[in-house]
Amino acid sequence: MALLLELDNVSVHYQKIAAVRGITIGVGEGEIVTLIGANGAGKTTTLRAISGLERPSAGEIRLRGQRINGMAPERIAELGIAHVPEGRRVFPYMTVRENLEMGAFLRKSGTELRNDYEDVFTRFPRLKEREKQLAGTLSGGEQQMLAMGRALMSKPKVILMDEPSLGLSPIMCREIARIIRRLHEEGRTIVLVEQNARLALALAQKAYVMETGRIALEGPAAELRENDEVQRTYLGITTAS
Amino acid sequence: MDSATLIQTLLNSVVASSIYALVAVGLALAFGVMKMANFAHGEFFMVGAYCVYVLYGLLGLPFPLAVVLAVPIVALLGLLTERFIFRPTRRNVLAGFMATAGLAFVLQVAAGRIWGVGIAKGVPTPYAGTAEIGDANLGWQRLIIIPCAFAMLLALRYFLYRTKFGKALRACAQDPEIAALQGIRINRMTALAMALAGASAGLAGALMAPILPVTPYIGHGVVLIAFIVVIVGGMASIEGAIIAAVLLGFIHTFVTTLADNLIATMVGVVFMAVTLILRPKGIMGRERA
Ligand SMILES: Nc1ncnc2c1ncn2[C@@H]1O[C@H](COP(=O)(O)OP(=O)(O)OP(=O)(O)O)[C@@H](O)[C@H]1O
Ligand SMILES: [Mg+2]
Repeated sequence: MALLLELDNVSVHYQKIAAVRGITIGVGEGEIVTLIGANGAGKTTTLRAISGLERPSAGEIRLRGQRINGMAPERIAELGIAHVPEGRRVFPYMTVRENLEMGAFLRKSGTELRNDYEDVFTRFPRLKEREKQLAGTLSGGEQQMLAMGRALMSKPKVILMDEPSLGLSPIMCREIARIIRRLHEEGRTIVLVEQNARLALALAQKAYVMETGRIALEGPAAELRENDEVQRTYLGITTAS
Repeated sequence: MDSATLIQTLLNSVVASSIYALVAVGLALAFGVMKMANFAHGEFFMVGAYCVYVLYGLLGLPFPLAVVLAVPIVALLGLLTERFIFRPTRRNVLAGFMATAGLAFVLQVAAGRIWGVGIAKGVPTPYAGTAEIGDANLGWQRLIIIPCAFAMLLALRYFLYRTKFGKALRACAQDPEIAALQGIRINRMTALAMALAGASAGLAGALMAPILPVTPYIGHGVVLIAFIVVIVGGMASIEGAIIAAVLLGFIHTFVTTLADNLIATMVGVVFMAVTLILRPKGIMGRERA
């Protein structure tokens, strides 16, 4: 499968501290690739490097073979990478509708764009009901949907999602999982960062386990689910031996 | 206070509120997007006043044309301030403070060098007549400020809430990093915010030129009140700034009429202190644009 997004030996430093140390990741077209790992492993930093919010100190990031590291975030957005950030980060004093409009900032208005608003509203009917409500007053789950909807409005080639299940009720987590699965069925490419390894490994085809800035394990998600180490550390399963 | 004085003072309060709102809105907008206070904002007002002095007072252009020309001229000054002062010092609050305070000084000295200091330059009054409202007489020169300020504020509101770039500007004020992820260019938006700040402060200065003695230091008093207004209103809040401008406009005008200008300024500061004790983040208490 041709790789849509590649990270080649990427390192990211915050001043002198290395948060990501030479990681190599490949994301194929139409795949869900997940990055799991403990707090502070460098997952968010990795996504921020892909979307241009951090500059890698070494290595290369390529989208369809084109080097994108060093580009400004707005330029990378233009090339088709959408980022659903950690903590949702909707624009709190803008309405639901305006938040979606910001997602579509780079697009020309027209029938296609109007259809995409309709698409987001059928995907997330709750957002339709709250179209005029200020985003800051939405519940956590609704804000997550809005952050996803905002990303979809840019018509992205790759969607980066940083802990979409964080702080949500089990029911809402299942809802988010259902939405991600549906996006996959439509052929979208997703990089999913999760603390909830069980959820992530159930959704993804390929998985990377990060430990203190490095890739400790990688492989098909189905295989990692069966891995003893992963079961013990991330799935909380103690294998009788 | 007899009824004539009361009506007169009320109308003067509306005029003062209009000017405060024009000046403060730009300050709040720029602060919202850049999180930096522009200490040269009062000088935008001053340059607006000098535009009218030069174009209308010296060159003899019609007054309305001089006012209309002052707006883009000061907007351009705002744009240049963003490009050459705020942008290079974005990462360093202290450097930004020094640089804008320095710019204020430079603009004052420049105006003084070119047109002289000290002498209060009178701009001839273009609309000398007065309107009789009840028993009160109010100069047309002051009254025209009210619709002009309203038009500007409504246009600004329309821009911020109804147009794509206005919304993008608000998005930048609320979360610049996330705005960048949507493809919005932060530098363009800060430049836009500063142009709008210049335009509104410049308009206020231009409208006040025939009323106030035009000097290089005319911005001082205005910017002091504008800062109080913006702090009371909640720093980055446009609506907060307008509400606070109206409150301060009335307080300042009434106290000036009953006592004097110095006491009015003191009362304004006390009002700010009390507001901040009751609502530490200002009336609107949030960073929004
Ligand atoms: N802005 C920053 N400045 C300095 N260090 C940072 C910064 N952001 C993150 N770090 C450090 O980089 C490391 C990786 O952080 P990162 O946020 O990428 O982890 P994470 O895997 O997303 O963790 P979590 O699961 O808690 O979200 C951590 O040690 C963190 O303290
Ligand atoms: Mg994280």
